Amino acid sequence: MALEYPLANNISAHEIRNSYRLRREQAEAAEAAEAAANGEEPSGQPANGDNETQDEEDEEAAQAESSAMAAERSRKRKRDQDEAIAKIKKGKVNKKKAAKKKKAGSDEGSDFEMADMYKKAKPLPGQLENCEICEKRFTVTAYSKAGPDGGLLCTPCGKEMTKEAKANEKASKPVIRKARRKIESNRLDGFTSRGSKTLQQLCIEKLAKHSEDIDEFGEMPEAIMNRLSEIFGKKRAMNSTTFKLFLQPDLDKLAIHEAAYLETEDFDQIFAVIPSIKKLSLRNCCQFKDSNMEYMTEKAKSLVELELRGANLVSNDHWINFFITRGGELKTLKLEWLDAAFDDQAVEALSTFCVNLERLKLERCKQLTVNSIDAIARLENLEHLTLKFCHEVPRERLVNLISQVGANLRTLCLENFLDNVNEPTDDVLDAIHNTCHYLSKFRFSDSNECSDAGYVNLFTEWDNPPLSSIDVSSTRDLDNTSPEGPEDFPIGLASAGFKALMAHSGSKIEYLDVASCRHIDHETFANVFDGAKQYPFLREINMSFCPVVDTQIVAAIFRSCPRVKKVVTFGCFEVQDVVVPRGIVLIGAPKAHDAIEQFGDTVMDFQRELQKEMGRVVPGVFFGVLRHGLPWMGEKATMRA
Amino acid sequence: MADADATADADANANLTEYVTLVSNDGFEFKILRSAAYLAGAIKNSLKPTYGFKEGSENRVDLPTINGVVLEKVCEYLYYNQKHAESKDVPDMEIPPELCLELLIAADYLDV
Repeated sequence: MALEYPLANNISAHEIRNSYRLRREQAEAAEAAEAAANGEEPSGQPANGDNETQDEEDEEAAQAESSAMAAERSRKRKRDQDEAIAKIKKGKVNKKKAAKKKKAGSDEGSDFEMADMYKKAKPLPGQLENCEICEKRFTVTAYSKAGPDGGLLCTPCGKEMTKEAKANEKASKPVIRKARRKIESNRLDGFTSRGSKTLQQLCIEKLAKHSEDIDEFGEMPEAIMNRLSEIFGKKRAMNSTTFKLFLQPDLDKLAIHEAAYLETEDFDQIFAVIPSIKKLSLRNCCQFKDSNMEYMTEKAKSLVELELRGANLVSNDHWINFFITRGGELKTLKLEWLDAAFDDQAVEALSTFCVNLERLKLERCKQLTVNSIDAIARLENLEHLTLKFCHEVPRERLVNLISQVGANLRTLCLENFLDNVNEPTDDVLDAIHNTCHYLSKFRFSDSNECSDAGYVNLFTEWDNPPLSSIDVSSTRDLDNTSPEGPEDFPIGLASAGFKALMAHSGSKIEYLDVASCRHIDHETFANVFDGAKQYPFLREINMSFCPVVDTQIVAAIFRSCPRVKKVVTFGCFEVQDVVVPRGIVLIGAPKAHDAIEQFGDTVMDFQRELQKEMGRVVPGVFFGVLRHGLPWMGEKATMRA
Repeated sequence: MADADATADADANANLTEYVTLVSNDGFEFKILRSAAYLAGAIKNSLKPTYGFKEGSENRVDLPTINGVVLEKVCEYLYYNQKHAESKDVPDMEIPPELCLELLIAADYLDV
C-alpha cells in the first residue's frame, strides 16, 4: 500500500485538475450566458452555477410582464434573491460532498487498477468466482470482500474476515488508558499495584457489581461482612434492598459505611431484626430521625458502641432522652457532622449519664462550645478522646480538660484548637507532658500557637512510653509577611521539636505526619534520617509542604525505615528522580515527572536482607539497581553536608 | 519462580514433591504445583513438614468444606496469582457471579 499510495494520489491529482477545468469552463459559459441575458448585472459576481441563472431569467421575465407593480415586485425580488442565494449555498455544499465522494471512489478504483495491473482482471458483480479461502464457487456482488491475497471471498468467509479485523482492532487498542484513573486512585490510597488482588477482594467486588441479584449472604464471618459493607458503600450499592442482606439476627456488630440511600423505615429494621445489637455504626445516615432514635432507645438494650455521622434530623431532646435511657451501658460514642442539633445541653446529659464512656469522638458538631469542654472533663473513664470543635476554646479550659481526664488517655486527638483571645502560650503541651503517661496515639494539628520550645519540652523526659502514631501537621507560624517565621523563637513543631519527637518515639513510631511543619530545616531531616539510624516500625510518613525535603532525605527514609510502605511528599519540589524501592509507594512528588511511576521497581540491597528473613527470594536484584543507574551508594556520595 | 521455603525445606526433607493434591468434599482431586498451593495460607500451613501434620507427609490436603466447582476456581486463582505475582496492573480474574459467595467463604477459610 505504501508504494501504491503516491501513485493513486497522482492519478487523483490529475483528475482533480480535470474536473476543476471542466467546472471553470462551465462557469464561464454560464456567466457569459447570464451577461447576455442581463446586461445590468456585473460580470464580476461569483459564478454560482445554473441555478442562479435560471432564477435571474425568471425574474427578468416577470419584470417584463408588468412594470406597474414594479415596486412590490422589487421587494419580492429581493426576498427571492435571498432565498435563491441560500439555496445555492446549500447546493454548493452538497455538490462539494458529492465531489468528495466521487473522488474517494475514484481513488479506490485507481488503487485497484494499479495493484491489479499485472493480475487477472477481477470478475464484475454478477459473475461467478471461486472463493479464495474455501474455494467454493459463489456469485460476486458489490459487497464481496477482498481476501488476503487479493482474490475475492464468498459471503461467509467475508464475514469471518471482518470479524477478525474488528477483533484485531480491539486488541491493538491500548487498554491501560481506561484503567488510568483507577491506577491513580489506588496510588493515592497507597496500594502498591504489583501482583493480583486477593481472591476475597475479587469476590467481594464481583458481589457488589451483582448486588441486586443476591438473595442472602448466609453465614459470613464478621470481618467479611464489614468488608462487603465497605465495598457496597464505595460502589453506591447500599440501598434499601441490599441493606437487608446485612441484617442478620445473630450479629453483634453492624457497620454501614454509606447509609445515604437508606430510608427512615430501614433504620427501624435494624433494631427490629437485631435487637441484641452491640455495636452500630451508621455513616451519612441523613434520614435517621427522631422516630428512629426513639425506637433505638426502646429496643437496643445491649448497645455499647454507637457511631452516627450526619444524623441531623435527630432533635436535642431525643439525644438527651437516649443518653438518659441507654447512656449507662455505652462504652463508645462517635458523633460527627452534626450542625442542626446536638448542643451543649446534650453533651451535659452525655457526661451526666454516660459515666462508663471509654471512647468519645466529637468532630465538627457546630453547636458545641466551651461548656461542652467542661462537661467532657467530668468523664473520668475516658481512654480515647478525639475532639474537633468549630468554636474557639479558651486555653485554660482545654488545659483543665487535659488535667482532668488526661491521666488515663491512650488516644488524644485535638484538632484545630485555637484561642485568639489570650496570648499564645505552651500551656496545653505542658499539661499533656505533665498529665498523660499512657498515650500511644497523639494528634495535635492545625495550631499556630505553641512554640517549638513547647514541643521540645513535651517530648523531652516525658514519662509516656514511645508513641505509635503522631500527627502534628500544620503546626507552624501563619504570618504571611515572614514565611520563615520568627527566627529566634520558632512557632510550631520546628527543628528542635522534631528531633525531640523522634528521639522520644522513634523506636516505636508507626505513623508520622509532619505535613506543613515548614520550620523543620534540612539539616534536621538529614540528621534524623541519615540512613543509619533505624526506625523499625515506621509504616507511613507524610512530609508534604515541608519545602526542604529533597531526594536525599526521601532516599534516606527508605534506608532508615525498613517497614515503610507509604511516603507522602506533596509540595516538596526538591524531591526529584528518586529510586523507589519495591513495595513502597511515593505520593505527590511534584517534580518527579520523568519517574511518574512511583511504585518501586527496585529491590535494594537492604531489602534483600529483609526478604531473606521473610523467606522470599526475588531474582535479578542487582540488575534492577544498576539499570536505574542510581544505586544507593552513588546517591550517598552526592549528599549535602 | 523458586520459592525460598520450598528449596530450603527440600534440603531438609527430601520427600517433598513438586505437586500436591487438593481434594474437594465431593471427591475431586486437583494436583497443583506446590509453589502455587503455598499461596493459600491455610494450605501452606497444613503442608509444611515442620508442623508434622498428616497432610505434610502425604502431600495431600482434604478440604471437606469446599466442593469441586469452587475448588477448581480456587486452583485457577492460585495459578493466576502465581503467574501475575511480578506483573503490574493485573487484569481481574473472571469469576462467575453465582460462585461468588461460596468462593468468598472458601477464600476466607483458605486465607487467599
